[in-house]
Amino acid sequence: MESLIDSVEFAVREAERLGVTEAEAFSQRQRIIEIFLERGEIQSERVKNRQGIGIRVIKDKRLGFAFASTLNREVIRNTCRDASKLADVSPKNPEWRSLPYPKSIPPAPEGLYDEDLASLTPDEALKMTMEGYEAVKNFDPRVSIDDGKLSLSATEVAISNSHGIDLESRGTAISFYLVCIARENGEASSLSYEYDLSRTLRGFSTERIGETAARKALISLGARKIESFRGEVILSPDVAADVLFGPVVSSINADNVQRGRSLWADKIGLEVADRRLTLIDDGLLPYGIGSSQFDAEGVPSQRTVVIENGVLRSFLYDSYTANKANRESTGNAARGSYSSLPSISISNLLVEPGTKSPDDLISEVDNGIIINRFSGNVEFESGDFSGIAKQACYIRNGEVKFPLKETMISGNAFESLKRIIEVGSDRRVTMSGVYTPSILIGEVNIVSK
Amino acid sequence: MLDLLEKCISRVKEGFVEMRGQSRRVFSVRVKDGRIDRLMHGLNEGACSRILIDGSWGFSSTTIINEKGISKIIEDAEALARSSKPAKRRRVEIAVIEPHIDYYESEMKRDPRSEDLEFLVKEALEVDKETREYSKSIASTSIGFSIVDDELYYVNSDGARIKQRIVRCFGDAFVIARSEGKIASAYESRGRQGGLEIFRETPIRDAALEAAERAVRIAPKRVVPGGLYDVVLENRIVGLLAHEAVGHTAEADLVYGGSYLSNKIGRKVASEMITLVDDGRLPSGFGTMKYDDEGVPTEKTIIIERGVVRGFMHSRETARQFGVSPTGNARAWSFEYDPIIRMRNTYIEPGDWTLEELIEDVKDGYFLRGDGGGEADFNGEFMFTVQEAVKIENGELKESYRGAAISGNAFEVLNKVKGVGRDFYMLIGMCGKEQPNYVGLGGPSLRTELLIGGQ
Repeated sequence: MESLIDSVEFAVREAERLGVTEAEAFSQRQRIIEIFLERGEIQSERVKNRQGIGIRVIKDKRLGFAFASTLNREVIRNTCRDASKLADVSPKNPEWRSLPYPKSIPPAPEGLYDEDLASLTPDEALKMTMEGYEAVKNFDPRVSIDDGKLSLSATEVAISNSHGIDLESRGTAISFYLVCIARENGEASSLSYEYDLSRTLRGFSTERIGETAARKALISLGARKIESFRGEVILSPDVAADVLFGPVVSSINADNVQRGRSLWADKIGLEVADRRLTLIDDGLLPYGIGSSQFDAEGVPSQRTVVIENGVLRSFLYDSYTANKANRESTGNAARGSYSSLPSISISNLLVEPGTKSPDDLISEVDNGIIINRFSGNVEFESGDFSGIAKQACYIRNGEVKFPLKETMISGNAFESLKRIIEVGSDRRVTMSGVYTPSILIGEVNIVSK
Repeated sequence: MLDLLEKCISRVKEGFVEMRGQSRRVFSVRVKDGRIDRLMHGLNEGACSRILIDGSWGFSSTTIINEKGISKIIEDAEALARSSKPAKRRRVEIAVIEPHIDYYESEMKRDPRSEDLEFLVKEALEVDKETREYSKSIASTSIGFSIVDDELYYVNSDGARIKQRIVRCFGDAFVIARSEGKIASAYESRGRQGGLEIFRETPIRDAALEAAERAVRIAPKRVVPGGLYDVVLENRIVGLLAHEAVGHTAEADLVYGGSYLSNKIGRKVASEMITLVDDGRLPSGFGTMKYDDEGVPTEKTIIIERGVVRGFMHSRETARQFGVSPTGNARAWSFEYDPIIRMRNTYIEPGDWTLEELIEDVKDGYFLRGDGGGEADFNGEFMFTVQEAVKIENGELKESYRGAAISGNAFEVLNKVKGVGRDFYMLIGMCGKEQPNYVGLGGPSLRTELLIGGQ
């Protein structure tokens, strides 16, 4: 079957013929190009063309699921039969209500599909990778690439269910990251990490990523040790996304809330963070890396205020958890691929930026550090974090003094949210889909190794 | 599939071309705390082409298995091979091998394709229920059953034409027990290559009850005291040591990158009691294949023989680099990955000591049991977690403790071996090295000395 929408409509009809109560089919077609850099050279390249269909059926509150990577009638029929057979032997889920019903879908946000990116050849992708590679080499001979990867995809999806949802959409995305190291007089810097993600080719520059990665590596040469202390910490956007917002993303997931795995389960309407923090999940953000017209169940995407001036306003729901909580889905169902069932995910989680640049933040610190990379453990449920502050610098009396040798930090994300001193203005997208600026927090344990 | 791949390959004019096809059927069920957590049937089919032109590889894959789809991946792979050439420092050459035409199929008594698999859902629910009812201390259970049925096709421009059908049936149990305010977890798995008979011959129920029994037993216990001790390592931990801490250092790409074993061929690195192999042909082994994903026949590769390094694991590329024959270790997780050097079934050969004999000479030490996973570096340094430590005093087993991390250098540990057991056991595993793969890992219990990082 050439058309995805035909494949999902056919699947739903076939499943219904088998006597299921409800059926849903999700098809996906992707073209992916991946270029790997390792030990400073192109290691391998892959072009992947993939497609497939995932079929979910419900028979009297019993769920069955099956998938296949081939979209012809015979395979789809067999896949429906497999899903139906599994529903027969599944125990009843008394909390099942229904698959979602159709709702009006908002217009597609601008900038989710770029024809130039979709038609990029492997050749051109290689050239872009090499531009990043050359940028590092030309920036400074002391810097070399440890590893890196360019990855781009063009994706089409279609979704249909028994209640009349019938939708299709397409999107593109590109990402590139580099890990660099600087060496001088027998000293090796800590590894620097720089990346970018985009829906379009416009404004995407591997060269700029290369230069920034190289600059970051150089900054950490000449690292020194400090005594352990408790002080202020500026978390760069990457670190804030992992350390602070990793536990937040887990706690606002309605499934975790309903399973008793969220410390915020009974905190709606209460203060969970400093009033400087406002957090919005915006599935309709133009050019947003997690934007879409509708989610993986065909529910319209929307803008959901999660935290408003420090007060918890809403969790994120898919249709199952929304039914259970007697409310509407927030359109946050996602699927890694056609081979998995939908589960709750953020779309674009936006931290409202403040007015101060990173330099302004630095000038406000009496005694503290700035961290550009974090390697350690963040327990999503409890919020406890501990690990190594990499690419970190010591700040004294509002000035960056020197780069730090590997230093440990530890604390708790939920407590740190209440100790936000300032939210920066330098908001950027991170690999986890959280858009955050640098964040200055107080009272973190900083331990010299 | 083979005909289609062969037809398309014949059109490529330049370079060495290989194409793989795969059809993977998956069935899996997982029950957590009495509820279905995951239940699915899946079919993943696709093909890839890898082309070597002028010392540079190109790779492309597709799930569209018709002439159009296959022609496209040949074009893409060719284009990539050519355009990536200037960016690559090393010129790739591959060892010459004879092209094989063959068919291989896992030995099976009950082919999963000729039966309904839904009975396993009921079985998983029953095993889960029984495990939860084993004791009031059981706090959480997770029981999984899986069947992975692969058809693999290989053709290349030298005329190779191979079809293999490899079926794996396996399952596992993860149990958490709570007692006196403390919690402990235990994990056990069962499975191998073969048909549904595996679930009768080595029931997942046994794994679950073994895990439950251990979790309940160690939950109230204290953590083992730390220190350097004489220990008897249970066979399951020896398998992990063989694979993770030693095996990886003998993969030729990592040898080339400077692992512990580089430049050590012919040198003694372990006790004379130790012979370690990576066996691609072990009957019903989890990592057994007759041919690897480069069409090279697999073999039993001897890594360490009576303590002396004899050889490494190779792909066609590293075999040429090292000037030896390929060993059949190039494996790919699926048609969406290019093959890299991977282990198959890695184990230490059994000796002739009974477990009692291994234990009886230990004055003050521990019998370490249960594989809790771990990590190792390419210099042989490892840190594993063991689930349980049983005190040995003057050759007798005494009280049991909660396990802890154990660490050391694998080659030092293998040098200090005082006895090798006869209780050979193969574990199943999933190894990750850029891409996952199924491996077997095993060995007998043995006596040695190492650091326990307890309290």
